[in-house]
Amino acid sequence: MKLIRKTGRTYLWLSIIIFILSGAILIFVLTNVMNNRLDNQLFYNKEIVAKRVKYDVPLTIFEEPEELNEAENKLYPKDTIIYKDTLILRLIQGEGVDEFEKYRQLTSYETLQGVRYKIIARNSLVRNQDFIWVILITTFIIILLLLSGLWILNTQISKKIWKPFYTNIDKLKNFSIQNQNTIELVPSDIDEFKELNTSIKSLTQKLQSDFNNLKEFSENASHEMQTPLAIMKSKIELLLQSSDLTKEQSEQLQSIYQAGNRLSKLNKTLLLLAKVENQQFSNKEEVSFKKLIEKSLENYEDFIINKNITIQTELSDHISSANTILVDTLISNLLSNAIKHNIPNGKINITYTKDTLIFSNTGKPLKGDPKNLFNRFKKESTLKDSLGLGLAIIKQICDVNNWQLNYSCEKEIHTISVIF
Amino acid sequence: MKILIVEDEIELLDSMTTYLKNEDFICESASSFFDAEDKIISFGYDIIILDITLPDGSGLNLLELIKEQSSKTGVLIVSAKNSLDDKLKGLDLGADDYITKPFHLAELNSRINSLIRRRNFDGDDSSIQFNEINIDPSSKTVTIHGKHMELTKKEYNLLLYFITNKNKVLTKESIAEHLWGDDIEMADSYDFIYTHMGNLRKKIKKLEGTDYLQTMYGLGYKFTDVEK
Repeated sequence: MKLIRKTGRTYLWLSIIIFILSGAILIFVLTNVMNNRLDNQLFYNKEIVAKRVKYDVPLTIFEEPEELNEAENKLYPKDTIIYKDTLILRLIQGEGVDEFEKYRQLTSYETLQGVRYKIIARNSLVRNQDFIWVILITTFIIILLLLSGLWILNTQISKKIWKPFYTNIDKLKNFSIQNQNTIELVPSDIDEFKELNTSIKSLTQKLQSDFNNLKEFSENASHEMQTPLAIMKSKIELLLQSSDLTKEQSEQLQSIYQAGNRLSKLNKTLLLLAKVENQQFSNKEEVSFKKLIEKSLENYEDFIINKNITIQTELSDHISSANTILVDTLISNLLSNAIKHNIPNGKINITYTKDTLIFSNTGKPLKGDPKNLFNRFKKESTLKDSLGLGLAIIKQICDVNNWQLNYSCEKEIHTISVIF
Repeated sequence: MKILIVEDEIELLDSMTTYLKNEDFICESASSFFDAEDKIISFGYDIIILDITLPDGSGLNLLELIKEQSSKTGVLIVSAKNSLDDKLKGLDLGADDYITKPFHLAELNSRINSLIRRRNFDGDDSSIQFNEINIDPSSKTVTIHGKHMELTKKEYNLLLYFITNKNKVLTKESIAEHLWGDDIEMADSYDFIYTHMGNLRKKIKKLEGTDYLQTMYGLGYKFTDVEK
């Protein structure tokens, strides 16, 4: 539910309650005021009747007066005036309908010239009630107008007020920590939005700086590891040169040496990943994919011949703008992957067009979840020298270039495609 | 050949000096910018191995100094940073080659030798002689007992690598890296070394050359005319 609706609904409920309350108060007050006026009127009328009786002026318009019964006389021994509302049945002429009509009635018991009198004065309340209804309906209409006016005004204003908010939300949605651009928010003159904007700005800045620190850290850590590794390797190599090593000693040395080499390869690869991630290969040149693919094929010739792999290529001469080192690494990794996971006498198909680069190769079916394929250190093969970073590098390179990377497997043919 | 090694990691400096001294180079070392500057100004060197990240200054500044002093000096940059910028900057400033840490000492030696060969190219006879084997790097041809030896590019590189590092144990890892570059992460690359090695042996034997290749347990190979 939108904020505007939520608050709008609350306002509506409040208005309805206030309207009902104020209607009740209005009815109460108006009835009181009118009754007061009527009562005065009735009292005045009663006084006229009383005066007439007092000075013996004949009351020609009245029917024969009824005599007061004992009970009433006992009930009101003194002079008393009673006001009340009463319903009296009245025949509406011509329509033949009996209808109760509300009356305001004054009943007075008093002694005039030694005789007990009961004087009743009435006045119809119908007109008063009509009057109250008119007032109520008018108020209702006014309130309705007020409410709808406010509603329209509110939605219009909020559309305007919330516009920068929604624009900023869209910007936040598109915000990527990988992207080094700071987020540019639409300014607002509303305090709450201003505060939100400042918070978002500082938050994203902190995120970015933390992220950068982390990336820098992994890069620096990898760098710092190179020197001790170089010392280690060089010392072992020197040690290997000594002629008096026993077979056992050289076997142990070999194990250390191989572990050291593995570590240094791992480190180099992680460093490469960190560098790709840190956008250190952002300069773009004109790159011929065809030439790089051919160069890679030549470089891997031994491995291709050894597995007796048939290579089929369909390469466009298209020159694209990209970073040569990245494209070279991408192709080299794709090819090495296609060779490594291939079967003897297998096939590799390489297709390059303006928009796609597709490597498909024969190979055993995938055991794990293809979703994890591009994650770091996910190894499918049991090859002991596989670091499990080749596909992660491919993914990272595609990510920084905004290329789409897909994997599919059908009938033991694995296909990795890059869509530019 | 007089070599100056500039490297702030004493242990690594020590390894490099030991290995290269064994190769009959005259080696001097400097472990700081200040030290190196002093030596570069005072003495002349044929080759300078330069670590560009020194604690008290950038090796790139030293490079400028070296080029001011003597343009004949060959410079090999060593860096822990495998960054293209550094590489390009170094090569722009007149460095001859670039090697990234960690490296194989045999690879370092091979680079130095190739650097020396390039420097002396126009001068004397640049061919390399090892007993009956003669390598002419300018035409990339090999003769045994004066007879031409037909080699593939990889076999040629392999033989040159061995002769440059003669009498040294060369590990399979270092050979693989030399032949295919260090980007290749292939489990079976060692099998190919074995294949290439077999071919090389056969070709040498065919021309009545001596088989100087010794297998060192599972470690690697040694090219030597010294009997075990």
